[in-house]
Amino acid sequence: MGKNPELLPGTLDMLILKAVSLKPLHGYGILLRIQQISGEALSVPQGSLYPALYRLEHQGLIAAEWGESENKRKAKFYTLTATGRRRLKAETAEWNKLASAIGAALGATPDEV
Amino acid sequence: MWSRLRSLAGMLFRRDRFESEMRDEVRFHIEARAEDLARTGLSPANAMRQARMEFGTEDAIKDDCRQSRGVRWLDEISNDLRYALRLMAKTPGFTAAAILSLALGIGANTAIFSLMDAVLLRTVPVESPRDLYFIGHGKGVRPGYNSNYPLFAQYRSIDGVFSGITAYSPTAFKVSSNAGLENATGLWVNGSFHDVLGVPMALGRGFSGESDQPTPNPTAVISDAFWSRRFGRAPDVLDRTLIIDGRAVPIVGVTAPEFTGMVPGTNPDITLPIAVRAIAEPDYLTMHDTWTDLTIVARLKPGVSVARALAPVDLALQQYMAADENSWIKKNNPDAFAVATLDPAARGSGRLRSQYETALKVLMGMVAMVLLIASVNVANLLLVRSAARAREVAIRLCVGGARSRLVRQFLTESLLLALCGGVLGTFIAIWGTAGIMRIFNSVETPLLLEVSPNTRIFAFTMAVSLLTGIAFGLLPALRSTRIDLTPALKDAPVALSGRRWSMSHLLVGTQVALSIVVLVVAALLVRSLLNLRTLDAGFEGGNLLLVTVDTAGTAVAPDARLPIYLALLDRLRAAPGVRSVSGSKSTPIHTSGDGRALVMPPEVPDTFEARGAFANPITPEYFDTLGIRLLRGRLLTDRDTATSPRVAVVNQTMAKYIGGDHDPIGMTFAFRGEPKDLIEIVGVVQDTHQMNLREAPPRTVYTPLAQADSIPSYFQVEIRTAQDPAAMITSVRQMIRSVSGDLVMRYVRTMDQQINASLVRERLLATLSAAFALLALVLSAIGLYGVMSYTVTRRSREIGIRMALGAARGQVLGQVMSQTFAIAIAGTVVGIVTAWMTAKTLSTFVFGLSERDPATLAGVAVALLAISMIAGLFPARRAATLDPVRAIKAE
Repeated sequence: MGKNPELLPGTLDMLILKAVSLKPLHGYGILLRIQQISGEALSVPQGSLYPALYRLEHQGLIAAEWGESENKRKAKFYTLTATGRRRLKAETAEWNKLASAIGAALGATPDEV
Repeated sequence: MWSRLRSLAGMLFRRDRFESEMRDEVRFHIEARAEDLARTGLSPANAMRQARMEFGTEDAIKDDCRQSRGVRWLDEISNDLRYALRLMAKTPGFTAAAILSLALGIGANTAIFSLMDAVLLRTVPVESPRDLYFIGHGKGVRPGYNSNYPLFAQYRSIDGVFSGITAYSPTAFKVSSNAGLENATGLWVNGSFHDVLGVPMALGRGFSGESDQPTPNPTAVISDAFWSRRFGRAPDVLDRTLIIDGRAVPIVGVTAPEFTGMVPGTNPDITLPIAVRAIAEPDYLTMHDTWTDLTIVARLKPGVSVARALAPVDLALQQYMAADENSWIKKNNPDAFAVATLDPAARGSGRLRSQYETALKVLMGMVAMVLLIASVNVANLLLVRSAARAREVAIRLCVGGARSRLVRQFLTESLLLALCGGVLGTFIAIWGTAGIMRIFNSVETPLLLEVSPNTRIFAFTMAVSLLTGIAFGLLPALRSTRIDLTPALKDAPVALSGRRWSMSHLLVGTQVALSIVVLVVAALLVRSLLNLRTLDAGFEGGNLLLVTVDTAGTAVAPDARLPIYLALLDRLRAAPGVRSVSGSKSTPIHTSGDGRALVMPPEVPDTFEARGAFANPITPEYFDTLGIRLLRGRLLTDRDTATSPRVAVVNQTMAKYIGGDHDPIGMTFAFRGEPKDLIEIVGVVQDTHQMNLREAPPRTVYTPLAQADSIPSYFQVEIRTAQDPAAMITSVRQMIRSVSGDLVMRYVRTMDQQINASLVRERLLATLSAAFALLALVLSAIGLYGVMSYTVTRRSREIGIRMALGAARGQVLGQVMSQTFAIAIAGTVVGIVTAWMTAKTLSTFVFGLSERDPATLAGVAVALLAISMIAGLFPARRAATLDPVRAIKAE
């Protein structure tokens, strides 16, 4: 795992939801998927992944089920629930709004002031 | 929300599965990562190690996961609980002592609270009781609720503020049964009583909107208790008819078991409409000048304030009082009817509350102090034990244990102790209240109080237990986690405080002070009871049997009463073991007689108050049977008949009042409103206490029963026996029945029982306060003993050194004893001062001594000091007999 920029606080939940929205994944798979979809730019500290997963499951945003992994081993797979899907949509919209606002603010030139 | 509950429930009930799944999941993660790493060329062993390192501290992460599920606190609590239970099991003596003293303290509180709940807090179980108000009257005095029917009718015509208004008065009925006439408690009520109050019914219907006018078709409602007692809860009770006071009345309803009327402490068997009373007493509905115990209760309309309702009510009272028939009240007793009042009726009427309110508060204060003493004991024990655990605490703090976590653990332990005490205390309270109720029920009209535990009582016990647990646990918890780590970790003697005086000593001093207060109160109350008991009541109380017979509502006509009564007296006089028999309207320590207004001799100023005296018509043997001494003149005799000149004997108080310094013999008076000859005073007898032992003897005139203008329907019979009067009760009952089937025996009791009955409140206070004082004393002595023992243990090394340096055993003994004495004397002084300052609370209860009686205060102080010294003697002797060598080597 490379030295990637730290995750912004509060974004881990969103990334997990996004990762499992594409396809049911086990914990290690989620870690790899986040790296992959962020173009290897983001890496999740392994210590905070599982507490986050348990919290999201506790909140009913994701559901867990035991299944078989690629190499035929027993693994716990997480899927997005309907509530989770709504939450992801809302958080994505929120994030985009915030990101574009910050982007606009940071892109301001002296002329615009 | 639902998913959280489900996941929490999963955690609670399938905990093992959660843990094993979490283990599996983490293992899978690490192995999968290791496989990936191995693919980059690492050896399998190195790959595994690398994967583990990347993952981080497995246990910490698992703990975070648990916390994510919101169950870490649960784990911690269950750990704390397990730890506390282990500790408790390891020191069974300590645990038993702590739980027992807390249980006694909490139990006493719960028992007294149960009484308070029944007497002061419980609302009558009717619909919205808080909308109900009594309509009373009186200015600047406790409002009176006695009214009469015309006034009720006046109030009933008020528009707009009440959604309903009704009235009731307690009474007694005679019900015919196979075994003859039977007494039943009863209630006369207005025809919409059950409807206005919203009385819950078990069967049938209550009265709703019946007329109060005399009716040929009366109906009765009975109570659940009467339904059980008389009909064995027969389901067809509504088809039955009762013969009440000789009149057949069909039953139309049974009230629900929780409803026991509007007067706490009573439970009327039979409720009849006023319409029935109006048949027997035709002028009842129109009688203006008699104030009966008719109590009026009204339900406020929603949104109407008391102030708004009061205006039309007061107007109605003023209109009523303005009528000519009532002018005499206005003239003679203006304050009592000056203004109308509306008082909350949610807790019912009756004297029970005013009689017991202060007494119960005094007892509640005492049990609170007892609980405080018990708590202090446990706090001290915990402090001592926390000293023993100081090393463990220091280690845990050193390795980074959070102090809050440790405090929580200590608190868990104390709360657990308190809750165990609470549970045991609840049982003690149930047993205790049963005992208290025996005091209440030792009288002819027992108080029917509902003291069985209810949710309010359980909530109280729970709250008290929790508060106690926190109160006695917090201090040791805070102190024992704030220790100096260095000496604690070394094997040096661990002391929470190196000073000679510690928190424990202060706490024990407080215990002594609290005990003093409780002891003073108990001593005053017990001495008051003894003073009342040994009071010369003016008659001889031993071997005296009292019987009340009753002919009201029977076939016996008023003018046929006297021959039946006299026949009864003759029958009893002939019985073996009977020395003397008499009859009267009243007996001492029971009633005073008829309050009569007198036309006084011209020497006595004629004012309204001055006219009052109590008239007690008696048979001539009365004074002899009761042992009342003649002081002057002569007693009444058989020669004072209906046709002979009218005579009377007066008591000392009356003699002094009527004659002043002169001899009253030969003076004459008359009963007001009685167009008969004047009555001549022929003798003066000793004063006797009449209503109870506390009240001063009233002005009394004794007249011959033979000369009475009417013979009472209630008749008292006094029997002086040769042996134990209680042994005669059965035969007396048979003799009464043999004289006439219409003679109903209401009560039979010995004079001792009657005196006991008049002292219910005093006995309750004396018995309970004595028990609480004993408890306080024992607990404090144990506390003092425990703390001094610990002090000696803690200082045994120092004591050993001093002895090695030549201190005499006597000096060591003296030192420990002087410390004990210092604590005891400080506590005693504070306690005596507190008792002195709070003494006024007891002024209504003490009798025959001051509530600041110096002898009592001094006696209690000396007794407590003596007991403190005895408690301190054991540890002091242990200190004095220490082997210096071993004491020094021990550490």
